[in-house]
Amino acid sequence: MAQTAITAPLDPLEPRHLVAPHHDDASLNETLLDHVWRKPGKGWFMLFGMTLSALGLLVIGVTYTLARGIGVWGNNQPVGWAFDIINFVWWVGIGHAGTLISAILLLFQQKWRTSINRFAEAMTLFAVMCAGLFPLLHTGRPWFAFWLFPYPSTLGAWPQFRSPLVWDVFAISTYLTVSALFWFVGLIPDLAALRDSSKTKAQRVIYGLFALGWRGSGRHWHNYKIAYLLLAGLSTPLVVSVHTIVSFDFAVSLLPGWHATIFPPYFVAGAVFSGFAMVITLIVPARKYLGLRDVITDRHLENMNKVILATGLIVSYGYMMEHFIAWYSQNQYELWTFYVNRATGPYAGVYWLMIACNVITPNIFWFRKCRTSIPIMWVASIMVNIGMWCERFIIIVTSLSQDFLPSSWGIYAPTWVDWSIYIGTLGLFGTLFLLFLKFVPAVAVSEVKELQLELKHAAAHNGHDTHGAH
Amino acid sequence: MEATVLSSWVLAEFATPDSLVDATRQMREKGFQGMDTYSPYPLHGGSEALGLPPSRVPFIALCGGLTGLVTALAMQTWMNTIDYPLNIGGRPLLSLPAWVPITFELSVLFAAFGIFFGLLGLSRLPQPYHPVFESDAFRSASTHGYWLSVPQATGQDANAVMDQLKSLGATQVTLVTGENE
Repeated sequence: MAQTAITAPLDPLEPRHLVAPHHDDASLNETLLDHVWRKPGKGWFMLFGMTLSALGLLVIGVTYTLARGIGVWGNNQPVGWAFDIINFVWWVGIGHAGTLISAILLLFQQKWRTSINRFAEAMTLFAVMCAGLFPLLHTGRPWFAFWLFPYPSTLGAWPQFRSPLVWDVFAISTYLTVSALFWFVGLIPDLAALRDSSKTKAQRVIYGLFALGWRGSGRHWHNYKIAYLLLAGLSTPLVVSVHTIVSFDFAVSLLPGWHATIFPPYFVAGAVFSGFAMVITLIVPARKYLGLRDVITDRHLENMNKVILATGLIVSYGYMMEHFIAWYSQNQYELWTFYVNRATGPYAGVYWLMIACNVITPNIFWFRKCRTSIPIMWVASIMVNIGMWCERFIIIVTSLSQDFLPSSWGIYAPTWVDWSIYIGTLGLFGTLFLLFLKFVPAVAVSEVKELQLELKHAAAHNGHDTHGAH
Repeated sequence: MEATVLSSWVLAEFATPDSLVDATRQMREKGFQGMDTYSPYPLHGGSEALGLPPSRVPFIALCGGLTGLVTALAMQTWMNTIDYPLNIGGRPLLSLPAWVPITFELSVLFAAFGIFFGLLGLSRLPQPYHPVFESDAFRSASTHGYWLSVPQATGQDANAVMDQLKSLGATQVTLVTGENE
């Protein structure tokens, strides 16, 4: 019975085999909490060493920048925004998949989100932290960054609220705060589970502190359920607003290649696109080494690949629209940017790499074989990440390097400091992520258990017994 | 009132979430007040079995959101229109459309704070110590156990409660005592 149920096509609204059916609450605890209690293996330490070395590069790059000023970066007139803003937008975009998986899929009652949301939310937090570093350094004097906030200054000056850059400050700091709250609220029951299954007194005390004394009380769950749902509801428009505001940094200007009304939706789709790709990049190895194949099933990966395909098509549509509007307006500067400079100019290589990675690559996911093949999806996800980075490079650098007056054109090249800060944030992200995998359950244990029970009820209701064959 | 009250709870563990919900409902129908269930995830029908009124979290969230909205609009208008007017290319000083992004962000931020601190406040968390933690077996409540607590039972009374819970299918019952607030 169970065998036929597994092979039978599943109703997309009532998916059943999201958790391998042989688990009960106790065995789920064992599977999902095991990687926290287990001593990290050689592989973990090797990776940790690698990410720590990359983090070292960040320290060097940032120290050098602070000591010498941002003149050590490659950006200068006319390309005043370069690596720092490229990486900022890229990292913020990566962060978006986390919120999308947690929040939008929760609201749509997509039950398959349960196994991956914790993972994706952690990714959001760390990606936004990396993102925030860039505008902070870009100010040149980060120790004065508080000037961006409206605080009662003795100078009697307030921030300029008509500026998209101030909007950014509010959008990113709100996003980071709300994501952190959402992540932490989701973690509380699992922290309590860790506290109660801990083996030493020290673990019990530390996890106990973070669990805030959670004891699974029905009265608490009563408020908790609605609080979690509301936070998800808030995060959903938030995620759209954040990347919309980031796109305003460009779209409200008059620069050819930036001045486009398609920017907000196209940036949001691009963010989701790169974010889901990053989830695949990270989850494929993690589920293998953490032994989470029972809860992060091939079906999850396939669903994520479908999202990548869909958002990839939206991004392609965005490119088409940009080119169409440039042609339709017959504005010579727009025409130059889109049809000459980007496609054949000094950065044409990056442009065609972007097209290959963002427009062509996701289309392989039309084929079920590619959607379900682990090596193919892993390589494709990395290509998408590269492609989205190239997209931000193209938008920022081509538009700034050759705009209205040929006499003020210039070529941009990053310096070693630019590269070390960029690679350094990859290290920061990796380090935080490895620590997360070590100390916190990578899968939302309480949610998986709840889902497991729901699935059992649904199966019983439909006359199936998921335990039938076991 | 700073006085500490010595109280006691009868704790009963049930084998499945469904039997816990059933037992809770029946105990409440018998007139027991102030009971609580404990489970590793929210029980289906658990709030109804305990007879809880609708949660106040949504109301707190709404208040938070409105506070953020008003704060943001007032802040931007005061700062950029009245206290420190900036003439940027002759654009209007009161540029409401330009206030939209920050107003939205602050509304969301304040609503989120409302939800988070509302949840903690209503649940009286953080609460590192609670008498139920005295029971070692109770540690399963956050992993794979389904528990019911009946408060303020002592002596003879407690034995009667324990018997009733056993007859409802409890797999184990214990009595814990401790100081509550």
